Amino acid sequence: METLGNLAFGLGVALSWQNIVYCFIGCFLGTLVGVLPGIGPVATVAMLLPFTFGLGPAPALIMLAGIYYGAQYGGSTTAILVNIPGESSSVVTTLDGHQMARKGRAGPALGIAAIGSFIAGCIATLVVAFFAPPLADLALRFGPAEYFSLMVFGLIAAVVLARGSLLKAIAMVCFGILLGLVGTDVNSGTIRFAFNQPELTDGIGFVALAMAFFGITDVVSNLEHKDKTDVYDERIGSVLPSLQDMRMSFWAIMRGTALGSILGILPGGGALLASFAAYMLEKKVAKPPRNFGEGDIRGVAAPESANNAGAQTSFIPMLTLGIPSNPTMALMIGALMIQGIAPGPQVMTERPELFWGLVASMWVGNLMLLVLNLPLIGVWVKLLAVPYRLLFPAIFVFCCIGVFTVDNKIFDIYVLAGLSAVAYVLFKLDCEPAPLILGFILGPMMEEQMRRAMMINFGDVTIFLTRPISAAFLIAAAGMVMLIALPSLRAKREVALQE
Amino acid sequence: MRIRSPKDFWAGLFFIAVALGFIALASRYGTGNMHRMGPGLFPILVSMLLASLGLIVSLRSFVIDGSPVPRFQLRPIAISLSAIALFGLVLARLGLLAAIAAMVLVGAAASRESRPLETAGLIVVLIAFSAVVFVWLLGLPIPLWPDA
Repeated sequence: METLGNLAFGLGVALSWQNIVYCFIGCFLGTLVGVLPGIGPVATVAMLLPFTFGLGPAPALIMLAGIYYGAQYGGSTTAILVNIPGESSSVVTTLDGHQMARKGRAGPALGIAAIGSFIAGCIATLVVAFFAPPLADLALRFGPAEYFSLMVFGLIAAVVLARGSLLKAIAMVCFGILLGLVGTDVNSGTIRFAFNQPELTDGIGFVALAMAFFGITDVVSNLEHKDKTDVYDERIGSVLPSLQDMRMSFWAIMRGTALGSILGILPGGGALLASFAAYMLEKKVAKPPRNFGEGDIRGVAAPESANNAGAQTSFIPMLTLGIPSNPTMALMIGALMIQGIAPGPQVMTERPELFWGLVASMWVGNLMLLVLNLPLIGVWVKLLAVPYRLLFPAIFVFCCIGVFTVDNKIFDIYVLAGLSAVAYVLFKLDCEPAPLILGFILGPMMEEQMRRAMMINFGDVTIFLTRPISAAFLIAAAGMVMLIALPSLRAKREVALQE
Repeated sequence: MRIRSPKDFWAGLFFIAVALGFIALASRYGTGNMHRMGPGLFPILVSMLLASLGLIVSLRSFVIDGSPVPRFQLRPIAISLSAIALFGLVLARLGLLAAIAAMVLVGAAASRESRPLETAGLIVVLIAFSAVVFVWLLGLPIPLWPDA
């Protein structure tokens, strides 16, 4: 019952008029940018971050969350209408969604995506409200050794579930950790890896890093390919799905929500994995007649519900443990730090208005998405007609302004240019950027926890294996690496991730 | 010996180079001991892990087949990076309006499809938008033009 009381308290925070306005602006801007093809949620959140700098922590976080699921939803609109996923988690939506559009059923496809997302969002909000507090309680009892091992576990889990070579992903984590250590060491005051640049004593700006790896690199890679878009230009008509559509999709939405909620909590999970898994599940268990790949409405309903549920439950590890499970959550943690809040389990007890306000705002935000998207769909469609040659200079401008406004330092713009060069080379060498961002955020925390653990235990490294919880995390991490290293399983993983 | 997976080979070398660089710098900061870890110790530990991963990745490229490194197209990346750096240079001296104009003007060249008239229009729109939204509405402290 306490949870309900807390939710009511959160609803009070979320429903203050200013937070409603920020939530609305967030959802609106997020959808607006998310609809544009080739700009994923990470780049969207990073680009829109400066809009939140003038706000307090709670409205800022509420607005960022709105931006995130707005971007998520905008991506599906693009997927259905243009057959280009606005972001990776709507790749599967293109399969059936675009087929539906081809058959003149773009309206119901968009409608069911919105409705499915809304239902999933409502349920996932409850999941967050009920699961986060016990997890935070548990985490509050962790000592430095447990915390260190938990972060190792989180990072490994994130890379195991991500695409591409495991070794390269772990190497990217290490590179990220090292980049995160640039700047003043809090323990000794030593300035590390700053090349005598006074601007680097505060470390590398994480907004610049995120923009370089997700914004600029994406734009450049888009520019290397000629854009050939297949825009759907017929009238969309009614977006309301028929009663039969609803009946058909109901269980698909439920299954997608359940799967998405679970996968979202896992490190490295979140929206992308959830949508893929939900589509695969639906293909197996949906009642015949099944027309997957040819415009089956359940092929839209399930992954769209799953990715929204996953997007929301991925806030759980971020809010309770201070550990990002995907790059978007890494950005959220960065935003919290900019606001002067140290992420971790103490946030829930020390800043209840922040935590519960955010949780409640997720529900409000989902309602807004529904209200915003069904009538405004025509506007988003027009936006899709904007050619890329006009979009990309605008993206550059917003990236640069965003990076500059974090600290009002011109130097950060040069850092952006430099990191973009590195990001481009790594992109060409098939090194995934997501693990690097996670390592960057977690690196300094890992060093801190390791130092504390060593300090308390007189430099005894075995402490990580003799404390049971810590050992369990490390063994689980090692187990995952072993599993992936086994050739038979690796083959399966490739298949699953490629499909 | 033949490199069968060039992407992995170069990625491995890149990681090794980064790791060695960090080790060289970190060893100057004092490592302390495991009980009292100095500022250099943790970076060195991570770098050693990175170097060994890089070594495995690059050695593995002689055994496992992989795709070749795709061609680097110089135009988009070079122009994009210059445009960003130019934005910084101009912003520091002439303010936001000039910086946007300079950046869009140069940046547009990154795509072969850009058209001069459209680019001019885009500059006007972006300047107006940024001035109104970022500076006036959001009140972000960005200099619009050079302070006299």
